[in-house]
Amino acid sequence: MRIEDVVCPFCGCLCDDLVVSVEGTKVLSVENGCTLATEKFTGDHRLAHPIRRTGGSWEKTTYDVAIRETAEILLDAERPLLYGWSGTFVEAQTIGVHLAELLGAVIDNTSTVCHGPSIMAIQEVGHPGCTLGQVKNRADVIVYWGANPIEAHPRHMSRYTTFADGFFVKSAFRDRKVIVVDIRETDSSEIADEFVKVTPGGDYAVLSALRMIVRGKGELVPEKVSGVTREQLFRVANICLSARFGAIFFGLGLTMSRGKYKNIRNAIELTEELNRHTKFTISPMRGHWNVYGSNEVFTWITGYPYAVDFSRGIAFYNPGETTSVDILRRKECDACLVVASDPGAHFPRACAGHLASIPTVQIDPHVNATTHLSRIQIPVAVTGIDAEGTAYRMDGVPIRTRQLFSTDYPDDVAVLGRIYSLVKEAKG
Amino acid sequence: MDFLMTTGRTIRQGSYVERKNTPSYRDEASCIRMNPVDMLELLVEEGDAVRVTGNGSSVVMRTKPDPMLPRGLVFVCLGPYANVLASPWTHGTGMPDFKTMPVSIEPTTDAPLPVSALMKECGGVPYED
Ligand code: SF4
Repeated sequence: MRIEDVVCPFCGCLCDDLVVSVEGTKVLSVENGCTLATEKFTGDHRLAHPIRRTGGSWEKTTYDVAIRETAEILLDAERPLLYGWSGTFVEAQTIGVHLAELLGAVIDNTSTVCHGPSIMAIQEVGHPGCTLGQVKNRADVIVYWGANPIEAHPRHMSRYTTFADGFFVKSAFRDRKVIVVDIRETDSSEIADEFVKVTPGGDYAVLSALRMIVRGKGELVPEKVSGVTREQLFRVANICLSARFGAIFFGLGLTMSRGKYKNIRNAIELTEELNRHTKFTISPMRGHWNVYGSNEVFTWITGYPYAVDFSRGIAFYNPGETTSVDILRRKECDACLVVASDPGAHFPRACAGHLASIPTVQIDPHVNATTHLSRIQIPVAVTGIDAEGTAYRMDGVPIRTRQLFSTDYPDDVAVLGRIYSLVKEAKG
Repeated sequence: MDFLMTTGRTIRQGSYVERKNTPSYRDEASCIRMNPVDMLELLVEEGDAVRVTGNGSSVVMRTKPDPMLPRGLVFVCLGPYANVLASPWTHGTGMPDFKTMPVSIEPTTDAPLPVSALMKECGGVPYED
């Protein structure tokens, strides 16, 4: 069977134009998707059944036992952490937030180690963003700052920027100028019209220099700023100023390096300066296919986008204190529920070590690094393949993923719903 | 020799991300890309094992020349190998310094561990499917 308009549940581009051929519960081929999409749809490495660990050995278990024990672990804990959420759909994320409230837990999503700093900056100075459709149809200058879309969001350039012809940009490759700013050359910088190579940790200064030029204070800019010549800074500023519509996309090169959210704040303020002359927008290159959804869900229920602590009976948010890496570093949580992410692989080792020392339960279709740190793992259906649900694209557009076939795996809503009911029953 | 290590995504890392117990994932996540001149100075060739030390821990990786990297900067894709060296301090932001980790690198005869063994090192119990 050939299924059209399939949504890819891999990266924040959330491409919705895939054509997938399936036979029974097997994916035969994927058209239109990038390598990552093909790997995702044809991957066949699911955990077959729930597993639990007693002491030093693993055993197979049932969904009933695994779900009951998970509820008991969470009920026994004084300071449980519910982490992950970006690899599942918003209906499941909603149950997660309600579960956290019921437990008085901390709930955090993967933005904490990707675009959390971007959100902090947006809370300070706002977000002059737009949808990807606007970029595709209007933008004649594109800036990728601290991002390498060819490796991380492989179709971003072909669907929305460098290679995508739009309504007002008839021949994208000729009419759109692409600027890449990074600390190293990448496949993306190779196809840029202008590559700005910044010394590591120097982004803030370069952004400030560009702001000075746009503000008309260019004469104060020194010969070199963080490895970038004055001449190139002026050239880049002029390209931006002569744009009819410019779009800045930034990645973890800005959020993770020195300055963190202050880098993003400076980039947003550069965008604001440019808007005094022409139209400019700025958007984060969100990683997981539904990380944006987790920020939406957390915000519409609690008022805060990530790192929400319910231990006081009300929602409390303070990045640096209620963020997962800090809680784990302080060895503060005494149980952890990991849903649809892999902190074992993506957190600093000290944090992974604490996960191993407390009862950690993972709800995830695949064996990953966190599996080895857990006490229980409950496999679920993969959203967008054998489960369906709503996700938010990197520009905040909600898109409903499709179920291509059904399997015996329950989806995240089914498993989390049962855990929630058990906790609710015990709490009275 | 001292280097600055940075991390990021690669297509291969993304491709193997849902099968972290496989040799293909291990090979990509434990691959350290460096400037060929730096490799010459370290007396290592492509595929040689190196011990990378930082933040009080060390991990074995395999080298790959990458002329696009400036001297002194090395690149490892995000994942459990790079994170052995990551400090859990976040300067009050929630975000560790994943992009800028000071490390030292020396040749070794050891081989990179599988992901399950890395997790065992920090207290986990490997699950083999
Ligand atoms: S660019 Fe992202 S969403 Fe689009 S097909 Fe590739 S992995 Fe999937």
